[in-house]
Amino acid sequence: MSQDLATTAEGIEQAVTAFVSKRVGADVPADQDLFESGLVSSLFAMELVVHLEQAFSVQILGDDLKRDNFRSVQAMTALVLRLNGAEQPADA
Amino acid sequence: MPELPADAREFVDDLVGDRAAEWDLAGLIPDDVLRSLATRGLLCAEVPQASGGLGVSSAANGEFTAYVGSRCSSLRSVMTSQGMAAWTIQRLGNPQQHAEYLPKLAGGQLAAVAFSEPAAGSDLSAMTTTIEPDGDAVVVRGQKVWTTAAHYADMIVVVGRYGSGAAAVVVPASAPGVTVTRVPRPSGCRAAGHADVRLDDVRLPASAVLGGGQPLMLLVTTALAYGRLSVAWGCVGILRACLDAARHHARARQQFGRPLAQHQLVGRHLANLLTGEQIATRMCEHASRCWDSGSPDMVVASVLAKQVSAVQAAQGAAAAVQVLGSAAAHEGHAVERAYRDAKLMELIEGSTEICQLILSDHAVSMTAR
Ligand SMILES: Cc1cc2nc3c(=O)[nH]c(=O)nc-3n(C[C@H](O)[C@H](O)[C@H](O)COP(=O)(O)OP(=O)(O)OC[C@H]3O[C@@H](n4cnc5c(N)ncnc54)[C@H](O)[C@@H]3O)c2cc1C
Repeated sequence: MSQDLATTAEGIEQAVTAFVSKRVGADVPADQDLFESGLVSSLFAMELVVHLEQAFSVQILGDDLKRDNFRSVQAMTALVLRLNGAEQPADA
Repeated sequence: MPELPADAREFVDDLVGDRAAEWDLAGLIPDDVLRSLATRGLLCAEVPQASGGLGVSSAANGEFTAYVGSRCSSLRSVMTSQGMAAWTIQRLGNPQQHAEYLPKLAGGQLAAVAFSEPAAGSDLSAMTTTIEPDGDAVVVRGQKVWTTAAHYADMIVVVGRYGSGAAAVVVPASAPGVTVTRVPRPSGCRAAGHADVRLDDVRLPASAVLGGGQPLMLLVTTALAYGRLSVAWGCVGILRACLDAARHHARARQQFGRPLAQHQLVGRHLANLLTGEQIATRMCEHASRCWDSGSPDMVVASVLAKQVSAVQAAQGAAAAVQVLGSAAAHEGHAVERAYRDAKLMELIEGSTEICQLILSDHAVSMTAR
């Protein structure tokens, strides 16, 4: 993952969209609710966690594992941006 | 990545020796055996060095898990629980909690993980244990069953409902309100210290809560991912022990004027055992590689490895009993233990059927290759 991809909102959103779309075999709009649409199983949710960590060199621990952070491509993008910006993993 | 200490296997050999049968019959592993492995960090060798652990790869720890499993599945079960507790704390805990708990787990304390309840076996969504905030504290109430290693554990990682989601909470076994009652005479992994754990208004500081508010099934999937791969490697160990016993016996024992191995129907058992051991090993190696490279495939690969290895181990152990004949028909014999232990591996951490359901879901949802 290049520096831009890992740091700009568009770059992150594109990369996450590509991963999710490939995994579910359909185009996934960035604001689509993945849980409501039944696209995400618990297994896939954990795959998303591991993918985001690996692709963007972040650690998603504890409180950041909540469902809302994975609800949509937009939510995941916001999570990655926040974790990338923060010095320490947010865990409060 | 750091390597396991070069003498890790020798250390296990010295500790276990030929005592696994004795432990199986007694239903207990001596405390000093567990403590000396725990003190060296060998029961959860993947805990990062920064947290006081050995920090070895999943692949290295997997091979070590298989080695322990080939000697004693009860000891390997304790290892699985310890590693799963550490992984759950690593995954769900914050940095303060990592600092609080992980060095203890890598340094001599023992842990167990409790999901199952009387009415929540395969269907963990039926869990009723609650973790309720109360000021600076939380109160834990519920009944857990079949918690491996709980009899030995200093801390029990308990999964329960928390608000509209779930959390795990680290419960000291000595906390007021905790009652640990051994499962009487389990049929396999008999010395693994399985116990039912009652939690009667157990009051703990809120800092003992790991995460909190995650969807229950995400939390369960997360914790079980480690347990599944560990069990899978343990099953590789069972297969190796069975293959070894069967091929030695088939070479040495003569019937109808030649070694058993020269009777083709016996040879087929040996071929199947070797095949099973190799299939299970490759599945586990693949899953460990996914873990070590941080691939999202680690989740599915762990389910696959568990599924394949547990089924192969149960079949392989049955074949080994057949090859050994009456030689294996002694309570506590390595192959007889393997037969009892392996079957239980098809029930735990997602039974064979539950793994099949997960895999069928995956098959339906995955994209064409
Ligand atoms: C040796 C051992 C160690 C254990 N260690 C732990 C531990 O450390 N921590 C912990 O929390 N728990 C532990 N357990 C409990 C274990 O996780 C459960 O036994 C397991 O989840 C299965 O639940 P159950 O026994 O209630 O069986 P059930 O859920 O009642 O299932 C019985 C049978 O029905 C099948 N079945 C159920 N639902 C379905 C379905 N939808 N479709 C098809 N088949 C289905 C199952 O596959 C199984 O074959 C342990 C159990 C054993 C035996």
